[in-house]
Formats: sequence, structure tokens, C-alpha cells
Amino acid sequence: MPMARPEIESGVREVLCDALGVDADDVVPAARIKSDLGAESIDYLDIMFRLEKRFTTPDRPFKIAQGELFPENMLSDPTLVENGKVTDKGMTVLKERMPHVDFSTFEKDRNVANLSETFTVKSLIEFVERKLKA
Amino acid sequence: MHFALIDTVLELDDSRVLAVKNVTRAEEYLGDHFPGFPVLPGVFMLEALVQASRRLLERSGRGEWVLGEVRALRYGSFVRPGEALRVEVTAEGDGEGASRSFKGVASVIRGGAAAETAVSGRFTMRPPRVG
Amino acid sequence: MRWMWIDAVTAFEPGHRMVAVKNVSLAEDHLHQHFPGRPIMPGSLMIEGFAQTAGILVGATEGFREKVILAKIARATIEQDVVPGQCIRYDASIERIDSAGASTRGTIERMDHRDGAWVRIGEVEMMFSHIDQNRAGVAFPEENFVFGENFRAILQASGLDRFLAKEPHGR
Repeated sequence: MPMARPEIESGVREVLCDALGVDADDVVPAARIKSDLGAESIDYLDIMFRLEKRFTTPDRPFKIAQGELFPENMLSDPTLVENGKVTDKGMTVLKERMPHVDFSTFEKDRNVANLSETFTVKSLIEFVERKLKA
Repeated sequence: MHFALIDTVLELDDSRVLAVKNVTRAEEYLGDHFPGFPVLPGVFMLEALVQASRRLLERSGRGEWVLGEVRALRYGSFVRPGEALRVEVTAEGDGEGASRSFKGVASVIRGGAAAETAVSGRFTMRPPRVG
Repeated sequence: MRWMWIDAVTAFEPGHRMVAVKNVSLAEDHLHQHFPGRPIMPGSLMIEGFAQTAGILVGATEGFREKVILAKIARATIEQDVVPGQCIRYDASIERIDSAGASTRGTIERMDHRDGAWVRIGEVEMMFSHIDQNRAGVAFPEENFVFGENFRAILQASGLDRFLAKEPHGR
């Protein structure tokens, strides 16, 4: 039976509280993982591992591949990022690979230094929901 | 080794302390951490946060305080001999029972200026419990 | 002060779990400053003992090819303290490993010779990073300095030197 959205939200909230040491009250959908919740480099790996653990069931393992949840290595590809800005090809790749993220605001500026701003609690909820439905 | 992980206190009030730990090759344990690549051990960065928090705890009374809990402590940049660790600890309030919570951030001081974050996270201090 | 915070490995299940012990003794200098007249094992050094146990476990799983560095203490609780004469036991398990790093968790226990019973005093969840994969721009020495002489000596003394031959263990 597919997991309902409130249960997914509660699971994501638990993961973020455990991984980032933040209070449940701070974990609102619009909260940005980095600027609002204080995530650092190693936290992205921790979040990924904890999401796997939280949403895996005996009949169905929840495994996240590298680059599936967060863009990681994509950014070192010169056809995707040029002079610190994401190229048209880069935007297409980002949207294709990260359907759980809302790039509408980012697209106007495309400054790769601001890419981490696009990842919100909602992005993670969307990610889990899509993956569980797939 | 003398177990002092804070060398200078720069600022101190009731809720915040700013301090520095110098890192020097004279600290013998660096020979083991690591051979050919000496860097301040991460747990000594934590110990520096702990010792800085005792400066705050001392302001409100006597008593011994030890580390009770650590939450979401992330390590960033290395700190090498010749560099220093700039330690900032802020009181976050009273925890359960007789415990006190803190937030700590430390950065590398390189060439006299504060640079990248070396460690950041939360911890609580409590009275010792020896069985 | 030597930077070795475990004394011997007492159990090892490759790729899964490692248990190590550390004795606490008045012979250790730093205890006389922590605190004068009231020696107590510093919590940060117990966390290091756990980190060395878990770090060797992760390292051995990868045949000591990767430089494994403590990256995050997600959670550590120390409910009771340890004094000279008592023994500490670190029981660490791998939760997950991938090319970027590993997550581990486990317990800290204390034993007093007066009754010989092991009592749980703490829990730890920590993550290690594979620094050769993750630190662009930092030049590291080629050889794996993380697992130096002291670790080798402990593994040898614990009868585990066959794990020093660089065979990765599957998970």
C-alpha cells in the first residue's frame, strides 16, 4: 500500500532532525536544507543514508544512487557549468535528473554558488514520494 | 601532554565565549595524528569547545562539568601546526536535569585571519556521574 | 601522550562489527588535569576510542586502501563517567558504506574490577569520509597515513594481522 504524504513528511522531518540536530518546528516545507537548516557537506551523505533506512521496507529496499538526490558530480562537468553559471544544457540536465526540485527561481540567475538554495524540505518530500510511487 | 585545549580567551560574557587554541608541532600526539600529515584531532576540537563552555559555566557557579551529549557535530577544514583554532561557544539554555546546552563553531586561523569552519555542532554539559 | 585510544581488539566480524577495549589508569598524565584530585576519563577521548574502533572496522572493510577520517558525530551520549581502574569497551557496527564515506553506530560500556560486570554508559552514531574522494585541492601523502604503525601493532597483538593484507571484504 503506498505511503500517504503526511507519513512521508513525518519521516523526512525525523531524518532531518536526527541528521542536522534541528528542532521539528524548524523543519517546514519551505525551509532550505543549507541556509535555513545548516546542512554541511557530510550532512548530505547522512541525509541520504537516513532516508534509505527510514523508507526501506522488508519487501522493498529504498536505495538512493549517487547523484539521484543531490546534484554532486554534475557540477564539475564543463558542458553543464561555465564561468560559475549553469548552461542551458546544464538546466535541462538538472530538471531531468532532479524532478523533485523547483528550479524556477534559480533559473533566472543560474549562479552555481546558489544552487544549494534550491534544496528545501519540500524537495526531499517530493523525492521520497516520487521514488515510492515508481 | 597538558590537557589544556584553550590558550587565550578573547571575549567572555554570560552567554558567549570566544577563545583560541594554537596548534604547534611541540604537541607530541601530532606525531601519531597522522604520521607525515599532522592535524589537530577532531575530538580535540570538540574538547576545545567543551573547555570553552566551562568558562561560561564558571560564571554562574562552582562545580565540575563534563561532556554529556553531542549532536550533529560536523568537521570541515583541517587545522595544522602553525595555524590556530578560533572557538566560539554560545549558551543555548538548560537541558534535562542539571544539564546545559551549547552551540559551538570553530574556524581555522591561517595567516592571522579566520578562514573555513573546522567544526560546528551542539553539545550538552552535565555534572560527573561516577559509579 | 600517544594518540592511541584503544588497547586491544576483542571481536571482529569483517565488514560488520568490531569490539575494542581501553583500560583507564592513573599512569595517564592527562587524567591528573581532568580534574586535579578527581581523575575522570574525558568524554571526548571516549568518543575518540569509539572512532578508532569504528574507523579500523571501516578501513579493514576496504583493505585499508581508503584514508578514513572522522567527518561527523551525528550523536553521542555519555550517561556515566569512567575513572582510573575501570575498563571501557567500544562496540561498533557499520550501518552503510559507499564510495563517499561510511556511517557507523554502537555503544560504550564500562567495567569495574570490583564486580566485573559490563554496564552500558553511552551510545554513538558517527560518520567517516573517504578523504581522497572528497577533498578536491588538498594534496595528501600517497601512503595511507591514517592507519599507521600503532594500528598495525594493535591488530597484530589482537591476532588480526591477516586483515592487514589489502583484501577488501564484501558487504
